[in-house]
Amino acid sequence: MNAAWHYLVGTLGPDLARIILGLVGILVLVQLNAVFLVWLERKVAGHIQARLGPMEVGPHGILQTIVDGIKLVSKELITPRHVDRKLFVLAPIVVFLPAMVGLVVIPFSRHLQVRDLNVGLLLIFAFSSFNVLAILMGGWAANNKYSLMGAIRSVAQNVAYEIPLLLTVVSVLLWSDSLRMSSIVNSQAQVWNVVWMPVAALIFMICATAETNRAPFDIPEAESELVGGFHTEYSGMRFALFFLAEYSNIFIEAAVATTLFFGGWRGPLLPGVVWFFLKTYALIFVVMWVRWTFPRLRFDQLMNFCWKILIPAALIHLVVYAGILELVK
Amino acid sequence: MLKEIIEGGWSLIAGMGVTFRRIYRPVVTVQYPRTQIEMSPGYRGHIEFKKFPETGTHNCVACSICMQLCPTNVIKVQGEKPNAHAEKRCSAYFIDFSHCSLCGLCVANCPTRTLKFSDEYEMSHYCRWESVVDLVQRLEESA
Repeated sequence: MNAAWHYLVGTLGPDLARIILGLVGILVLVQLNAVFLVWLERKVAGHIQARLGPMEVGPHGILQTIVDGIKLVSKELITPRHVDRKLFVLAPIVVFLPAMVGLVVIPFSRHLQVRDLNVGLLLIFAFSSFNVLAILMGGWAANNKYSLMGAIRSVAQNVAYEIPLLLTVVSVLLWSDSLRMSSIVNSQAQVWNVVWMPVAALIFMICATAETNRAPFDIPEAESELVGGFHTEYSGMRFALFFLAEYSNIFIEAAVATTLFFGGWRGPLLPGVVWFFLKTYALIFVVMWVRWTFPRLRFDQLMNFCWKILIPAALIHLVVYAGILELVK
Repeated sequence: MLKEIIEGGWSLIAGMGVTFRRIYRPVVTVQYPRTQIEMSPGYRGHIEFKKFPETGTHNCVACSICMQLCPTNVIKVQGEKPNAHAEKRCSAYFIDFSHCSLCGLCVANCPTRTLKFSDEYEMSHYCRWESVVDLVQRLEESA
């Protein structure tokens, strides 16, 4: 391993070697994470509904997602006749890209981080808004009323929920004084942020769930109303890319929440990576738990909840927290 | 407003408590081809003969009331008298359960109470003739 690393650095230089290794690592993580999360989702859903979930392929159905993936790869890529061909093909790629960029700056452990940018947090949020663009592209290009409805809903929802999301993040930044992910983790060396600002953590999780279009905020792809929403016309691997991006976004959401509010990789006894993944998957479990507990919101309820409750709450929280911080300092 | 938020929030937490308890409780579904369960007593499969311990066989006298009552005409009974003084006995009893609506008129009206619902539930076949059952033969095979 060490020899391979030295060979890579020797031939490519440290920067290029870091980029290649980081890219490979992220690609592997994205795939494995999606495979695991889809399985976990089905298991959680099953047990909450007093069923077992997948049981046939592999022990407790752990290989089910891989088999499903193989099926999706082998299926035909159907392009309907009246679609905007360029956008239709481009959308699944665009949706997948930000999911990978976000992982570049996430600190998995003290040293396990592809790039510790000084604008790390900004990078994640900047690229996560690409998600909306991709969904709009997919929904618009498909030339289908259900797709378009899903895309419109998604844009309205994502634009609205980004505001309280960023407002709560500002509270965290007031404490850490930096957008650098490692500084945010280090600012929680004594106490996790969630202890001082549980309301912010709650609002963040709600908004992040809405940002990733998860139930109970999954109206962009509401199956009972819009068939599949923005990905109605997609099939085969293009559909799988949307799916992959969704689960990667959930992972990023939970990873950012871990970094911002739950002390990142910090924790006693166990190594940092283990703590990081434990916290992240615990949060993902909560997101799944919420999905299988609550029914989907109506669209006006969703918008009212954001504009009338979350944004004022996030603003008040920010002002109060800033005041307290000013008094204490 | 605040009361509404607190009450609403509490109801959400209570709801999540309900689903969390479900996660570790035993599942109610059965992995069907791997494990099979006993059917409940009220289950209606297609009809079959009851076996009476006194005679060691069914009590069908081929009165053909079931045949006449059957709304979809799926029953065919044949009887024979071994000799002039003997009672009539059923020699063949066919049903085609692919048309049977499990209404139970035959079971309710059987004068010798020799019909009952079976606990058969694997009733799909590749051929229509496979849904035709000979109840006499079925009783002999079950013994």
